[in-house]
Amino acid sequence: MKPAAFDYYRPTTVEDALAALGTSETAKILAGGQSLIPSMNFRLAQPDLLVDIGGVEGFDRMEVGPEGVMIGASVTQSRVMTSDEVADAVPGLRRALRHVAHLQIRNRGTVCGSLAHADPAAELPAMAIACGATIFIRGPAGERTVDAGDFFLGPFWTDLAHGEIVTGVHFPAESAGTVTLLDELAWRSGDFAITGLAAAVAARDGEATGARLVSFGVSGVASRMTGAEQAVLGFAGGDDGSDLYEAAYGDAADAVDDIHATAEYRREALGALAVRSVRAALAANGNGTGV
Amino acid sequence: MTVDSPMRINPMISHRAAHIGRAVLRREDRSPLTGRRRYVADLRLPGMLEVAFVRSPEAHARIVSIDTGPALALPGVHAVFTGADLDDVAPFPHKILYIQPVGQTALAVDRVRYVGSPYAAVVATDRYVAEDAASLVAAHTEFESLPAVADLDQALAPDAPKLYDDWPDNYLVNYPAEKEEVTRAFEEADHSYSDTFISPRQTGLPLECRGVLADVVDGQVTLWSSTQSPHIVRTTIAEMTGIPEPRIRVITPAMGGGFGTKTHIYPEDVVMPWISRRIGRPVRWIEDRFENLVSAVHARDQRHDVDVAYDDDGTIRAIRCKAYCDVGSGEIFMPGTAPVFVTGGCITGGYDFPNMEVHHFCVVTNKTPAGAYRGFGVPEGLLVMEGIIDQVARRTGVDRVEIRRRMVLQEDQMPYLMHGGGRIDSGSHAKSFERAAELIARSLERIRAEYADDPDVRVGVGYTNYVEPTTPTYHLTTGHWAGYDSATLRVDPDGAARVGLGTTDLGQGTETTAAQLVADSLGLDPDDVTVVMGDTDRAPYGLGAWGSRSAIVMSGSILMAADRVMVKAREIAAHMLEAAAEDVVLTNGEFHVAGSEAPSVSWSQVATAAWVRTVDLPRGMEPGLEMSGYFEPPELEHLPDASGKVNAAASWSNGAHAGVVSVRISTGELKIEDYVVVHDCGTMINPMIIDGQVQGGVAQGVAGAMYEEFQYDPETALPRFASFMEYLYPTCSEVPEMTIEHFETPAPEQPLGVKGCGEGGTIGPGAVVACAVSDALADLGVEIKATPVTPSAIRQAIREASGPGGGA
Repeated sequence: MKPAAFDYYRPTTVEDALAALGTSETAKILAGGQSLIPSMNFRLAQPDLLVDIGGVEGFDRMEVGPEGVMIGASVTQSRVMTSDEVADAVPGLRRALRHVAHLQIRNRGTVCGSLAHADPAAELPAMAIACGATIFIRGPAGERTVDAGDFFLGPFWTDLAHGEIVTGVHFPAESAGTVTLLDELAWRSGDFAITGLAAAVAARDGEATGARLVSFGVSGVASRMTGAEQAVLGFAGGDDGSDLYEAAYGDAADAVDDIHATAEYRREALGALAVRSVRAALAANGNGTGV
Repeated sequence: MTVDSPMRINPMISHRAAHIGRAVLRREDRSPLTGRRRYVADLRLPGMLEVAFVRSPEAHARIVSIDTGPALALPGVHAVFTGADLDDVAPFPHKILYIQPVGQTALAVDRVRYVGSPYAAVVATDRYVAEDAASLVAAHTEFESLPAVADLDQALAPDAPKLYDDWPDNYLVNYPAEKEEVTRAFEEADHSYSDTFISPRQTGLPLECRGVLADVVDGQVTLWSSTQSPHIVRTTIAEMTGIPEPRIRVITPAMGGGFGTKTHIYPEDVVMPWISRRIGRPVRWIEDRFENLVSAVHARDQRHDVDVAYDDDGTIRAIRCKAYCDVGSGEIFMPGTAPVFVTGGCITGGYDFPNMEVHHFCVVTNKTPAGAYRGFGVPEGLLVMEGIIDQVARRTGVDRVEIRRRMVLQEDQMPYLMHGGGRIDSGSHAKSFERAAELIARSLERIRAEYADDPDVRVGVGYTNYVEPTTPTYHLTTGHWAGYDSATLRVDPDGAARVGLGTTDLGQGTETTAAQLVADSLGLDPDDVTVVMGDTDRAPYGLGAWGSRSAIVMSGSILMAADRVMVKAREIAAHMLEAAAEDVVLTNGEFHVAGSEAPSVSWSQVATAAWVRTVDLPRGMEPGLEMSGYFEPPELEHLPDASGKVNAAASWSNGAHAGVVSVRISTGELKIEDYVVVHDCGTMINPMIIDGQVQGGVAQGVAGAMYEEFQYDPETALPRFASFMEYLYPTCSEVPEMTIEHFETPAPEQPLGVKGCGEGGTIGPGAVVACAVSDALADLGVEIKATPVTPSAIRQAIREASGPGGGA
């Protein structure tokens, strides 16, 4: 379990990092390395060059303002999770990060790295979509931004082209009347989700008025649950939830079968998670205490 | 004082303090906690090269050709050896005559039968280059794929591809059995039904993988191997390579667990010294986790097809069980055939149930060879027995606890002869069960109340009564070794003792418990005792640590050796005191004449006379103060009688586990809310260490109950796992808090009354969880008869019980 030979480069500027990436077809960006290094050790990934962006100037910035939170490419998950300012502005981030692996992994792993890696069962891509986050990208052609909702295309597949770097992600501040949360089923604490749901639920007078509901771990990519988002309109905590359950169940039509769970399990679980997440969001919204 | 009754501490000793029975802190904890313990992977020798094994990517294939040229051309590669190069190495021994010979060679030649099978070895400057070269060898190996057999049904199909061309079928062992009284009971009983139970593939999963460092200098072989049985490794290497056994030294440095997986003698143990001898340099191989998952033995993987005869009053009249074990390719020494026999012999647990008929089958498939793992067949059987009891309770409406009460073994039945010949020497089966039931009833009430308001949650309880066969014979497993172990005990001139033991320490605290035993048997302090294990040059020949045997065999051998040391020490002391030997006693480490504390001579004075001032010895006495004991446990049988019955364990521990679970119907989420262990391993040498054994055992039992399963593709027999992303073990977050209580029913025939305690914890959880989930979901008609019980499995059971849309 040793990686194949590779070159290693640690630039200090974005420009140098981009230039290095341009020299190789198989170059990979190394941020926290919590997914990349294991897959290199298994020789599933055999890049000939690692560009370590840990030393790139400005990538370590994390700024909290009235508009939201800007997280640079080398900011670790632990740093985001432990920031009370971040938790006040975007409560969903800490709620999602609680489910991300274990302390040691969060100490190394980065928020942007998890987004760029796009594991279909990871929490952060789903929460980015639920929050309406914006992803900042630099490439040879300059800077561009992509809505999180348009960024994730498939398993380990994003809108990012080879040679481009995710330089940061902006999570907008949670607006009043909205509750953002994440719930998941994993066989062990800290595992990738077998079935997960990130939710931003807006409510008034105890009824849901709108929601972004995002499934993860269910199919090959974190996905908006369009049926459940419709079914949630007007949902009140006391409702029996069967319509919402059925809609969420239907949203998981392309659920995967694997060694850990059947596709049918994932559909049922997503239905159950949708009902309990929306109920939890309404309860939190009602008493203003968070989840 | 006689040397033929090593059942007690020498009566001539008056102790400062008895150390046996006390929670003496583990002396072996400091170094691992401070990172100073030295495992094989920490060892380096000058000029050492690294070895990587090339392993089959095919489940079943003929090796057509191997081109080692590209690998040899890689800078840093020193050599590449294939199976054919080892033509001067004999195949692994085949000593059990009732099983088919697999003809396992050190490296696979011509044919591979499972993914992970080693067929070549690369020697290189470091592991990185070695892996590069191993990839090249693999890329330049031409395989001709053969039809693969992925499971029992495929292996036993009439037209199944055969793993071994010269066998009639794929049975490694085919051992049917019929009992007249069972047949009769089925005719007479009110009802009967059939059922199937499944315990899937798992492994012991030691924190430290395997590893071997071999160095052959001037014909002297030194081998550092992470093995539970260094002497057996030595004998096997000698037998296979022809190297004289006294020239082989096998050292087991610190071990990070074994759990049975390291009792086996693996190809790497034999190939590594062969390579070192061939190339004239030290070579090291450190197993990585992928290798460990595919090439260290697997275990369990049993299916039990049962017929049950019962009466309306809840009496179970008879059980017929066809016990199948999928042993993978079977290419492992010692073979993986013994666990299913232990399952069959122990399937009736802590119950008085003679009308049991078990047919034993071991079947080969194209999977990793199966072998030993903590529990060794017993958990699989308990899942069946407790499942049957609960099923009969459901069918008859008789209370589950009441049925168990009627069946549980009573103290006045001891010794109790089990259906398969197991002779339960003693125990507290009924008392332990009542106590466990009492403890769990309290928490059941509390937990039911906790979830009373949540209609999505159901709460259930599971009960078990098990027996744990300890200190088994190795003869039925290996066809060779049997049951004894050894101690060589010396008192040095300063009065401190040193004991060499044939058993080994794999993390279970043997060093501390051995020191307690020596201390009490010589009237010393444990701090004055040095314990040496795991080195064939420094410790006497012994069989190693497995089968929960160390407590009994080291108690016996230490007490025998200590009795002999005491006889001689007393004669020396008597000579120095100018008294008669029979008048001399030992108090607080000083020899004196009974009834008068002074004058006295110390252990140091006695040992100095024995080793240094030999002029002080009685005239004509042989110098030295070192004695050995070779202890064969009484009551242990090594061969079955004419009816196939055998008491294959020296003593039988027992216990009752009970647990409460909560199940969320909508998602299948399962939580062990409370877990109770009432445990009896006879006289306890160190209660703290025993609690640790129980806790660790329960953790591994929970692993099997809820998490671990090796899955193979049913079409290709390729593993569907390569790492801990696929093979999930429980972490400390998943293992429940537990209550542990003990009874101490001494083993009547064993030294000090001790019994083994290493495996009991592992036996209960599978049955507890399966039965508790079935209980929780009884109103939905759910019955759990297979582990692991995952949320997905629970949901599937709910769906199948209540039809389409059920439980939504």
